[in-house]
Amino acid sequence: MSYPTPSTSHLSFDQIYEPSEDTFLILDTLESEQSYILSHFPNKLPIFLEVGTGSGVITTFTHHNILKDALFLTTDLNPHACQAVKQTSSNNGGTKFLDSTQMSLASGMRDHLIDILVFNPPYVPDEIVPDVPQSDDAYEWLDLALLGGADGMVVTNVLLDDLHRIMSKEGIVYILFCARNKPELAVKRLQSLGWYGIKVGERRTGEGLTVYRFTRCA
Amino acid sequence: MKFLTTNFVKCSIKTCDATTESFPLKYTNCELIQSSQDFNPDFILSMLDRLDWSALVKVAQDLGNSALPPVKPEGEMLNDVNLLQDLHTLLLETCITEGEMTCQHCGHIYYIKNSIPNFLLPPHLA
Repeated sequence: MSYPTPSTSHLSFDQIYEPSEDTFLILDTLESEQSYILSHFPNKLPIFLEVGTGSGVITTFTHHNILKDALFLTTDLNPHACQAVKQTSSNNGGTKFLDSTQMSLASGMRDHLIDILVFNPPYVPDEIVPDVPQSDDAYEWLDLALLGGADGMVVTNVLLDDLHRIMSKEGIVYILFCARNKPELAVKRLQSLGWYGIKVGERRTGEGLTVYRFTRCA
Repeated sequence: MKFLTTNFVKCSIKTCDATTESFPLKYTNCELIQSSQDFNPDFILSMLDRLDWSALVKVAQDLGNSALPPVKPEGEMLNDVNLLQDLHTLLLETCITEGEMTCQHCGHIYYIKNSIPNFLLPPHLA
């Protein structure tokens, strides 16, 4: 790890997800994937989308260290997160090519637009996926960032099923899993939809976190 | 919300996906600000490839700008620095801070508040 982690000292973490082990695994993975990403788009300015941005650390890190020439779009259900990503980017070097939207996954993105998608999902297995709170002040916003229903995969599966619509032809997708998500089943599910998945990041301790890269089968 | 982003977002209701009317959204009652950014002609040139030009012209008209050429600039025209500067001003420096976005297929209205467009749906539509 050589690139600095963006500062988030301007944020309070009462209502948005505080960068944690999973976040840092994604940063490490993106750093190790940098040459792959850069060589993948030799003649195109890529459009990057982070789904469920939280504090905005991943987008800011990518904007300033990995992909200087790209357009950055972000989505989050949580209005506090939608503002936080702009603050984090602005406090760490600028928001020139960044725009933040309040959206469920990528449901309002134009078809076949996104070249690089990164998703750190609510991956903790639970009986339910929480409802979207009706008030901006609610503390339930934090639950929404964590709890992923059965196998922790209910939210991720909705995105997986929409990838063929969201992604450009040469699109690259990075998704984080914990061991209880059974990522090998997600790889199979995506394979049947025409995507090839490979593990590109791993923390063997704790929750057994992994990051997989998905690209369309040739 | 940068003007550029209006070219990348559509109605988030699934049944509108198959229609051509869910993009672009119609922009009304919008408040705009200009926020200055460094001019980067290469970024604008690369972005041009990605733009749906007729959608751009439509949204510009919604917001009171009818100065865009009807067809996407190409070839020699791209050497015109003034044109690229104008596009930079429109795409990256023009931001919608408040306003409404309406799907021309289902009629659903989405709101822009504090510069953030909100595409969340009420439970009965989600």
